Amino acid sequence: MSLPPSLRTSATPTELELIASQQLIEIIPLIAMEKTAFISGAYGPLRPPHRAKVPIWMAVNLKLKKKCHIMAPYWLNTEFLQARLNEETTESGFSRLPFRFSEVSKVLLDVAPDDIPDADKLRYILKDLREARQAKSREGLANLDRGEFSLPNFCSMEINEVRPFFIRSMAILQQLYREPGET
Amino acid sequence: MDDDYFSIDAILAENQKFQCTFKQEIPDMGHLGGGSERDIRAQSKRQIPIWLAYTIIYSDWADFDIPTAFGLKVRNALKAETRSVRLSNLVGAGGSWYGFGKTTMDILNDEQAKVLSEMLTTTFKGRLIEVIDQAQHFAALGPVGASGNTGDFSQAFREGLDATERDLFTLAQESSKRMRRWHEETERSKR
Repeated sequence: MSLPPSLRTSATPTELELIASQQLIEIIPLIAMEKTAFISGAYGPLRPPHRAKVPIWMAVNLKLKKKCHIMAPYWLNTEFLQARLNEETTESGFSRLPFRFSEVSKVLLDVAPDDIPDADKLRYILKDLREARQAKSREGLANLDRGEFSLPNFCSMEINEVRPFFIRSMAILQQLYREPGET
Repeated sequence: MDDDYFSIDAILAENQKFQCTFKQEIPDMGHLGGGSERDIRAQSKRQIPIWLAYTIIYSDWADFDIPTAFGLKVRNALKAETRSVRLSNLVGAGGSWYGFGKTTMDILNDEQAKVLSEMLTTTFKGRLIEVIDQAQHFAALGPVGASGNTGDFSQAFREGLDATERDLFTLAQESSKRMRRWHEETERSKR
C-alpha cells in the first residue's frame, strides 16, 4: 500500500469515530422532516416533540445547527460509568463496556454537553476509566508471548491504540523463538 | 529479521561479523580477513561476515565462537538488570542485537541455540515495557523538545536501544500521539 508506515499498522482514531458515528441514537428533534432516504438507509420522519432514532452523524449535524436535542445512551451517565470504574479498579479483568464507548462519548460530550447531565463529571470518570484500563493493558504486555493473546472486553479505541506494537512484538518474539529439533 | 530473502531487516542484521577459526589451510584467500596475507593458515582466526560464515561453517572449513555480544559477560549483565544493558553498544549504531542473535541461533546446534533463544526472549520481554512506557511518555511532550527531568536513566536507555526496539518505540509513540491529538480535538475546532 502506498500509505505512510505509521498508517499501515492500524486505523486512525478519526476513522474509528466515523465508524462509531453510524450507530443509532435517540434525539428530540426541533424541526420537522419527512422520511428521507440516505445512502445508509431511510431515517425519519422527524415530528417534534416526538423522539426519533437517527445515526449519530446526523444527530451531530442537527445539533450543531441547533435543530435537535440529543438523548444520552443508556450507558452515558454517572451511575453506570462510576460502577464500571469501581469494577475496573477492584477486579483484574477488564469491565464490560460498550465496544465503541470511547468514540461515542467523546463525540457526544463534545457537541452536546448541555443535553447530557453532569458532562464534566462524566469526562473525569471516562478519563479515569481510560487510564485504569491502560494500566491493565500495560501489565498484560509483560505477559506477552508469541502465541495467541486475548484481552476480553477490550474496546475499539484501545485495541487500535495497542495493535501496532503488540503485533510487532509478537512477531519479534516468534522470530526469536527456537523450535526444538530444527537444524 | 525474518528468513525472507528480501527482508531489509534480515539483510541489515547480517551486517555483523563472526570470529572464525579456520581448520584447514586455504591458499589465496587471505584477503577475506582484510589482512595483507596471501594464504589462510590452519588454526588462524579471522573475522568473517555472517553471510559468508554460513557457507564456511556448514562446509566445515572453520569453527566459530559465540560472538561477544552474546557472551557470558553480557548474559550476566542482562540477568542482573535487563534494562541497563546498552544493546546498541554491542552491535554498533543502527545494528540489531536481536537480529544478530537470530542469525547466530540459526547456525548453532539445538542446545546452544535454545540457550541463546531464551536469552533473547527474556531480554526482549524485560525491556519491552520500558520501551513502551517511554514511547508513551514522549508522545505527550510537545515539539519544544525533551524535558530536562526525564533523568539520565531514561536517556541512557533510549540511546541503548537496538534497531528493533527503536522500531517499536516509534510505532508506540506514533500511536499514542494520534490518540492524544484525537482526544484534544473538538468539534468547534473542526468546523
